[in-house]
Amino acid sequence: MTVTSVRVAPTACPRCRSATLGVVGKSSVAGVWTIFSCSTCFYAWRSTEPEENVDPEKYPAAFRLRPEDLARLKVVPPVPRRRPSL
Amino acid sequence: MRAYKDLREFLSVLEQERQLLRIHDQVLPEPDMAAAACALTQIGEESPAIYFDKIAGFSSARVAMNVHGSWCNHALALGMDKDASMRDQFFEFVRRFQLYPGTLERVENAPWQEVVVDKDVNLYELLPLFRLNRGDGGYFIDKACTISRDLDDWNNDDVENVGIYRLQVKGRNRLGIQTVPQHDIAIHMAHAEERGEDLPVAIALGNEPIITLMGATPLLYDQLEYKMAAVMQGAPYRVVKTAKGLDIPWGSEYVLEGRVLCGRRETEGPFGEFPGYYSGCHKYPVIEIDRVSHRKDPVYDAVYVGRPWTEIDFLQAMTTSAPIFLQIKSTFPEVVAVNALYTHGLVVVVSTKIRYGGFAKYVGLRVLTTTHGLGYAKIVIVVDENVDPFDLKQVMWAMSVKVNPAGDIVTIPNLAENLLDPACSPGGIATKMIIDATTPVAPDVRGDYGEELDRPLGTDQWQTKLSGLVKEMRK
Repeated sequence: MTVTSVRVAPTACPRCRSATLGVVGKSSVAGVWTIFSCSTCFYAWRSTEPEENVDPEKYPAAFRLRPEDLARLKVVPPVPRRRPSL
Repeated sequence: MRAYKDLREFLSVLEQERQLLRIHDQVLPEPDMAAAACALTQIGEESPAIYFDKIAGFSSARVAMNVHGSWCNHALALGMDKDASMRDQFFEFVRRFQLYPGTLERVENAPWQEVVVDKDVNLYELLPLFRLNRGDGGYFIDKACTISRDLDDWNNDDVENVGIYRLQVKGRNRLGIQTVPQHDIAIHMAHAEERGEDLPVAIALGNEPIITLMGATPLLYDQLEYKMAAVMQGAPYRVVKTAKGLDIPWGSEYVLEGRVLCGRRETEGPFGEFPGYYSGCHKYPVIEIDRVSHRKDPVYDAVYVGRPWTEIDFLQAMTTSAPIFLQIKSTFPEVVAVNALYTHGLVVVVSTKIRYGGFAKYVGLRVLTTTHGLGYAKIVIVVDENVDPFDLKQVMWAMSVKVNPAGDIVTIPNLAENLLDPACSPGGIATKMIIDATTPVAPDVRGDYGEELDRPLGTDQWQTKLSGLVKEMRK
């Protein structure tokens, strides 16, 4: 496979559409790819991935998340009660 | 038996045995690497490991996949002949398992101490991360050993734990970790959180093949994986202590040291999991990494997890079957063999001698109360002693003629089950089933079983003779 060129810098997280994203890594060979991460839903993606992983419009509906739903996710394991201090 | 000192030595043995495929073309991290590893699993049961060292954007990344992904590679990991049958590998695994405990060889230095990064750790740049399945929530480290101790019993080596848990890279120096209540590290985490403290952990990546198998084995809480690895490889297991006091395999390629943050839970997932489904998202614990050490030109390894069968199914095959077998056998010596190869033992096939009518169902019930049964085994098929549980043709014959659903199916509602099983309802709860596919014996007089067919006199001798002749003919 050939390497596609780095696309235009994203403005929204492909998964949850939040604008809370930033660059977290760059290829050691300069200019090949950039890794972005969303600080709302923790989705991470590389600029050279297939479109469905980088483009919010093409991100599969089955995997989308809404920021307002994150607080309702199940906590596993539950946080245990603190022991009484001795 | 064979003690491989590190992953590199095992990869060179795989190469000598023509079980390692080097990809010389440049590949993209996505989708090439996962696609190639997935494709390998479709090729057959003799798939080689695969090795990438020309990955777009990386100046010097080396990634191995499918290292355990065939019966040949599994046999070589155990130091057996690469043609050893599944059944032979099971009984050899079981034989060594019973030699527990082995010993540790503690040394001061290891190659993984060559390069140290303890400032501005950035896992996205230090590791050749890549996406495994398109719906994964990020990049996962999924074949690393996570090492922890119990803060309530810190110096007790026997309760130190080495386990393989999926780790999602969620920030430059942050990971999410999946720990289900059945895992030993969940006990360590609970004790740390009850005390209000972070739990020190180390993550060892790129290991010789035995400790990876042990990390996937449901050992008892007070059994140390390194001591089991020692008996599996027939030599003391060499480890090096971190400054915090955690034991690390001498041969590891990368070591990440950090802490599970007390009381913290954050969005994690999804991840394409062993049942062949995505796991969904949960709020899982978080690890902060303070320090990364690695060998020069480190080799990263990963396991592709997809719809079974993939490498993970080989990795979890004997490691699941052997402990179940030994735990049941301690109660019922009549048990002959256990096949828990399917989807991490969600289905278990047990062959047993029958003490008296109705006995097989007790054997099935006992499977459900083993350490692995508590969280996984959902459907248990019990077959007679002359049915090889590893030969599904024989198992299907037993199911065909020895099962009358009117009296041979037992279901127990609302038992605990791994939350990754998509059939759970609600999550973590499932009905479990025992199928008695054994021949009824007195006083169970159901059915009309006359004489079972046997083989003509001399068949065994002819089998030996003909196997040789056929082999000769095909040379």
